[in-house]
Amino acid sequence: MNEEKLKIKEDAQQWEGGVAKNITFIVTKDCQLACKYCYLVGKNEEERMSWEVAKQAIDYIFDHENDFPERSVVFDFIGGEPFLEIDLIERICDYIKTELFRRQHHWFDSYRFSFSTNGINYDTQKVQRFIEKNASHLSIGITIDGTQRKHDLNRIWKGDGPERGSYNDVVRNIPLWLSQFPGGGTKVTISSADIPYIRESVLHLYSLGIHEVNINVVFEDVWQEGDDRRFEEQLMLLADDIIDGDYYKDYSCSFFSERIGKPLDPVKENNNWCGAGRMLSIDAAGNFYPCTRFAAYSLREKRPIIIGNVRDGINKNRLRPFLTLDRTTQSPQECVDCEVASGCAWCQGENYDAAETPTVYQRSTAICLMHKARVRANNYYWNRLFRKLEKDGSREEFEQNKRNVKPEIC
Amino acid sequence: MLKYLIIQLDSTSTSFCHYAVNRREPCLMPLDTLRKAIRWSMIENVNVQFLYPEYPLPAEYADAIETIDHVKIMQATAADAGKADIVVFDGIASVDADSLSEDMSIVVRTGKKAFFAEYAMLNAILPKVSRLNVVITDIASFADDDFTTYEAALTELAVAVKNEYVGNHPVQFNLLTDRIMLKEMNNCGAGSESLTLAPNGRFYVCPAFYFDDESDSVGDIDNGPSLKNPQLYKLGYAPICRVCDAFHCHRCVWLNRRTTLEVNTPSHEQCATAHIERNASRRLLEAIREVGEFLPGMEIPEIDYIDPFENVRIDR
Repeated sequence: MNEEKLKIKEDAQQWEGGVAKNITFIVTKDCQLACKYCYLVGKNEEERMSWEVAKQAIDYIFDHENDFPERSVVFDFIGGEPFLEIDLIERICDYIKTELFRRQHHWFDSYRFSFSTNGINYDTQKVQRFIEKNASHLSIGITIDGTQRKHDLNRIWKGDGPERGSYNDVVRNIPLWLSQFPGGGTKVTISSADIPYIRESVLHLYSLGIHEVNINVVFEDVWQEGDDRRFEEQLMLLADDIIDGDYYKDYSCSFFSERIGKPLDPVKENNNWCGAGRMLSIDAAGNFYPCTRFAAYSLREKRPIIIGNVRDGINKNRLRPFLTLDRTTQSPQECVDCEVASGCAWCQGENYDAAETPTVYQRSTAICLMHKARVRANNYYWNRLFRKLEKDGSREEFEQNKRNVKPEIC
Repeated sequence: MLKYLIIQLDSTSTSFCHYAVNRREPCLMPLDTLRKAIRWSMIENVNVQFLYPEYPLPAEYADAIETIDHVKIMQATAADAGKADIVVFDGIASVDADSLSEDMSIVVRTGKKAFFAEYAMLNAILPKVSRLNVVITDIASFADDDFTTYEAALTELAVAVKNEYVGNHPVQFNLLTDRIMLKEMNNCGAGSESLTLAPNGRFYVCPAFYFDDESDSVGDIDNGPSLKNPQLYKLGYAPICRVCDAFHCHRCVWLNRRTTLEVNTPSHEQCATAHIERNASRRLLEAIREVGEFLPGMEIPEIDYIDPFENVRIDR
């Protein structure tokens, strides 16, 4: 029997997952990149958050402590690229810390600042100073999509002229990032053209020292005929590599989870997947949204859903649909009856954008075939892995040591 | 299942509900459209309600209308108001109680402020009609103080209603007696049980949707209705309403959309006012039973909330 303690790594738990309020500052709608799969259709250089708006938002939130009873808070900063506004962010974070202390707010020492960045400005003096100053309350994820050819396929610099990938501008900062956030994970997004590069990309990210690869297919209806088969093949190859290379001990890839691919009880397992409405997003104009995906720059077809603003506060009536949404009410019957429903995700904003009427109650099924392909490959992965563990005599140890992972709510 | 078609004969036809008529220039439905609508209603086996304008209709319209069983809804000030099945008054003060008769069904549209100022006048109206519907047009503006005032107003009105019942005049008053008579939801039903045909020959969820945005139609009389996401108008797809027992609530999908942006989700104000009515109905039922047996088996349980949202919200 293998004496070495077997560590099985799956997706890391979100900090205070499920009990923290997520408050998102859309500090800019600008980005150095123009990623082809980016859902932000209205990026621009003009809409930058002012200090006055940011302060008003913080004051409103802290003045209404009873309306935010969650035990903890995660302040997210997104763009565009948030680190383009590092001066503003630093001022916001300083103010938040000061006010939490001054007001003896229940979030004092129960807060976190969170960033998802393209990584290009990561090593700048200002960003590094910010990291040093806030290290104990900070989560930063750098988005790198995999191998250079996969990354540069989509994540290109904006501007006219020949297409220029951003891989080299990001990968150079990965060692610094991992030295500061050793458990740091990256987000990988898969669109139709990326499918052939999934296997090599995940392995490449592991080779860079990134142990946690959070990967998902885009929710938009971009899929071509045969993509599901190609996707399944890639995941099967990846499954073999992860198992044969013993990567499962120390690395995770969110495509593989024991929890997916099961039927869901329409009553007991009726939760909404998405956290829209339980979050709060604020844009440069001082408008509040149930999630960033409902801001105008995220929407192709529909009007934004604004639930208030920093001056008038939150219109609670507009939150009611989000806070009463459940899985079955928004799902077509084929999803309710689906034999492999668990783990099939949705984005409330994309549902809204793709719906036939202006509603958040019509679930998009654009990823149906892709989810089913994932489930088949996932079944293969676990059947192969368990067989290997049983042969090694380490299955019991695996069961004892695996982490209790909850599905990540966006 | 569709049961009713509301035919709005003119763009200035009367409102009988929360919405306001915002067209000033009359635009009469073409006779050909009216005839198609009548034929369609017969084929689809739906009941027809005609909304009349103030002015008298041409004789050929009146003739066409009489070819189908129907209900006429008119303003009290309309030229043909004497022929109406349901008469609409704008404001409580505009109702002349002496002009009413016991077989009349009337609708009184009023704003919140006017209701609070004039509701006592309803005491004189209740003995004179078979049914009184009071529609408070600006429910969305109710604040906490207004709920308290509303509850007090209904408590006072319940005394008059009780007296009518004790006096063997079982008047129907939507705010106080509808809930007493109901064992399940009985709401407006726009989008599920009823549709509206506007003068332009297009279907709308209800007349309010026509007045809000004429392009927001759901089909036309030549091609039939084509409502998208029709399930969202049904009770089973309304997470708050399906667990609610304010059975008499309008559950106005137009107000829902205006206030919460979703047709299946009511505002706090709509829920709270409906529950104040529900609870006042409960007390009225008890008061009538103090005099004698009344509707045995019909019970309205005591509850400790006025907004069922608090029972179904997922973040607490």
